[in-house]
Amino acid sequence: MIAAALAAIYSTFADSSTYASIAEAKADPSKTFHVVGKLMKDLPQIYDPQTNPNLFSFHIKDNKGESVRVLLNKAKPQDFEQSEQIVVIGKIVNQDFIANDILMKCPSKYSNEEAKAKALQGSM
Amino acid sequence: MQDSIQYIGEQPLFGIIGNLLIAIAFSCAMVAAIGYFYWMRSGDIIWKKFSRSFFYIHTLSIVSIFILLMYLILNHRFEYHYVWEHSNEEMPLKYIFACIWEGQEGSFLLWLFWHAIIGLLVIYRTKTWEAGVMMVLSLIQIFLSSMLLGIIIWGDQKIGTNPFGLLRNDPSFANLPFIKMPDYLQHIKGNGLNPLLQNYWMTIHPPTLFLGFALTAIPFCFAISGFIQKKYTEWIVPAISWTFTAVLVLGIGILMGAAWAYESLSFGGFWAWDPVENASLVPWMTLVAAAHVMLIYKSRKTTVLSSFILATISFVLVVYSTFLTRSGILGDTSVHAFTDLGMNLQLEVFLFFFLGLMIFQLIKNFNKLNLSNVEESFSSREFWMFVGVLLLIIGAIQITFQTSLPVINKLFNTKLAPAADVIDSYNKWQLPIAALLLLLIAITQFFNYKNSDIKNVSRKLLIPALLSFALVLISYCTLGNNYRLHYYILLFSACFAALANTHYIINVLKGKIKFSGSSVAHIGFALIMLGALISNSRKETISQNFKNINLGKDFPNSENIMIENRIDTLPMGGYYVVYEQARKEGYNLYYDVAYFNQNLNGEKEKAFTLSPILQLNERMGNVAEPSTKRFWNKDIYTHLTYVELNEKEDKSNDPYQTAKEAIMAIGDTFITSNSFVILQGLNKNIDKAKLNLNEQDLAVGAKLMIENVNRVKFNAEPLFVIRDFMSYSQEAMVDSLGLKIAFSKIDPQSGKITLNISELKSNKKDFIIMKAIVFPYINILWLGCILLIVGSIIAIRQRIKLTSKNLE
Repeated sequence: MIAAALAAIYSTFADSSTYASIAEAKADPSKTFHVVGKLMKDLPQIYDPQTNPNLFSFHIKDNKGESVRVLLNKAKPQDFEQSEQIVVIGKIVNQDFIANDILMKCPSKYSNEEAKAKALQGSM
Repeated sequence: MQDSIQYIGEQPLFGIIGNLLIAIAFSCAMVAAIGYFYWMRSGDIIWKKFSRSFFYIHTLSIVSIFILLMYLILNHRFEYHYVWEHSNEEMPLKYIFACIWEGQEGSFLLWLFWHAIIGLLVIYRTKTWEAGVMMVLSLIQIFLSSMLLGIIIWGDQKIGTNPFGLLRNDPSFANLPFIKMPDYLQHIKGNGLNPLLQNYWMTIHPPTLFLGFALTAIPFCFAISGFIQKKYTEWIVPAISWTFTAVLVLGIGILMGAAWAYESLSFGGFWAWDPVENASLVPWMTLVAAAHVMLIYKSRKTTVLSSFILATISFVLVVYSTFLTRSGILGDTSVHAFTDLGMNLQLEVFLFFFLGLMIFQLIKNFNKLNLSNVEESFSSREFWMFVGVLLLIIGAIQITFQTSLPVINKLFNTKLAPAADVIDSYNKWQLPIAALLLLLIAITQFFNYKNSDIKNVSRKLLIPALLSFALVLISYCTLGNNYRLHYYILLFSACFAALANTHYIINVLKGKIKFSGSSVAHIGFALIMLGALISNSRKETISQNFKNINLGKDFPNSENIMIENRIDTLPMGGYYVVYEQARKEGYNLYYDVAYFNQNLNGEKEKAFTLSPILQLNERMGNVAEPSTKRFWNKDIYTHLTYVELNEKEDKSNDPYQTAKEAIMAIGDTFITSNSFVILQGLNKNIDKAKLNLNEQDLAVGAKLMIENVNRVKFNAEPLFVIRDFMSYSQEAMVDSLGLKIAFSKIDPQSGKITLNISELKSNKKDFIIMKAIVFPYINILWLGCILLIVGSIIAIRQRIKLTSKNLE
């Protein structure tokens, strides 16, 4: 019983991925990483649904200043431009980060104090 | 300084009353706890009236706080921050309850409310156990009502957040000019309920879930007070029906959450192992385990220790789940999490106090427990039940650990991220556990407690086992090798569990409904698993992209379908689909997609229309909500993955869209919606006379080659003209492509030129990108839910009847 519980914990450990910088992800192209970064708004974001509705490319910069092009294997997320912070999940293939999934932190007007103040002023 | 302003229209009296009520609720919980403690200690009936009275006042205050908050919301008293944040004037009345529990304060209030109501029920129903159980319950109420206090002590430590705080006193508004306006109330509107939560589920799901949480406290109270009073075993039997009731209600709450997710969230299913879903699933699993070991105790007088641990840990896990949800620690990993209100310390104290209480009682009384080590025999019912309990615990540990990764990161400063394939990482533990549990569910009822005749048991199990095997064989023959072995194992155990329990009802119980509760509930569980297995492993994504260009195996671009408005009629999953129109209702944009059948003559007949939604949600970003067509044997589940919104409705009469700027060097290409524009060179030998230019004008032409998608080429040459030191452009039009191109700038240093390219508005294509999934036989799952609920109700009724009979 205890052995089974330990095995469960161990396997969960083994499955878990790690948050990493772009440099770390580049160093180990065989492994899947969660990379946290910011959208580089001055570089092109390409989504051409008529060719491929499941491909969206953009560039991110991590907090160490390194940048990479991300090829997201999904439709372009709604409200993508407004995202503050992006977590992409995937691996490096030929200098590009191929992401299977994306998590975005939007400046949620639900929690952000500043935005809340704006909402209030907007209503006045 | 603020206080010197006389604000017009504020009614601060309500806030004062509200705060008073919170203070009363908090202090009465304290006094009631003390009273009940002395009653429990002395057994002196004098304390009965005393403690009850204070608990009644406590209950009354909680109910009054609820009513007051409802009154403030109904009357749009936006001077109160909570009212402003969670409601507005436009909101329909039916969402009033949803507004109350949208925020943290309101959900604590809901939790308090249920504890208070259940407390009344405990007072009414339990006789000898009232003092002990109510003492622990009042202790819990002290902690919960402190969450609403909203006072600051020791400099800056905040105790609770108060639902009656004034808007203008909220720190986030401290420096806004409106504070200085005496009549600010006339200018503000409510912030309103999050559109995503404007849903009938929001009215029924949280109260059910919190009632489940609240009921989980009762076995905890029984166990703790039993140990305090050195009645190490006597608490178990009277707590059994409470435990099963908690299992039932918490189970309904979780299933409602799953149904809500399936109906209106677009992650494509009813269960996604979201951390908050897990946080309520784990206490449910331990509670199920607790209820079953308590049943074993009832017949065999063993499993005291595991009854105590499981009954208490379930409540501690509920508090832990509260901590996970409310501390903000889950951060980005969940859709449910509340924002951090700066109450983490208080939540931690809440958690560690009750965890500590549990561990303390356990250690203190450990050697007094009569841990008789009866060797259980394989032929007894309790042996197999206990194996099931152990499986549930292993499952619970695995889920807890994986859900707690953010906590582990914080504690040990690690950087663990969720598994790349989260669902698979859960499933590889939970599915084998589910399969084994189902096998146990199938066989266990046929064993007697203590000892049974194995031959007899296996004879009774033979028919259901053979039938299930036949079913698996049939499905193997139809499906073949497409599914892995574990699909068939799980299929077998689910069928076996359902059939064996049906067999038990018919042949052993002879169809007596009132004894069949547990069998019906177990059939329900088996069908939930069966439905989940079939609908999930055989789900089929029917939306395929026909316009795709193959981009290799790294980019499987076939899962989403692109449909152009009223242009395309595309085949999809046996239907032909047409995107008919988009319409706006309130916050929601509905995209009507019609489904056509083709009849024998080749004519297309409309079968039905689905309207997946894009909700324009200012707070969370736009959210796609699915639309599902239900058949008896399958669901067609569709949601939008991408739509292009017209940023702002353009009302000008200009037939062209806003121009796009292209800064180009010679040889560069610019892509429009329908063509490639290539700058081939600059032309300095302009025939000025022909173009109505003066002799003194300077003019340069941009030689453009434009190629459309069918590789037809066009030429265009917009001019850049300087006349009398002023520059302007002579535009070039390409009418067949709807293009207008101006040449607005030359940068002599880089040699690059600037073109302004505008397209006709009619060039803009209206299209949607949609994903459609067929979930076969998902109704088995919902049928299972109903049976699980009905069976549990029958079993609990029967148990309550028996207990009251025994008491008489």
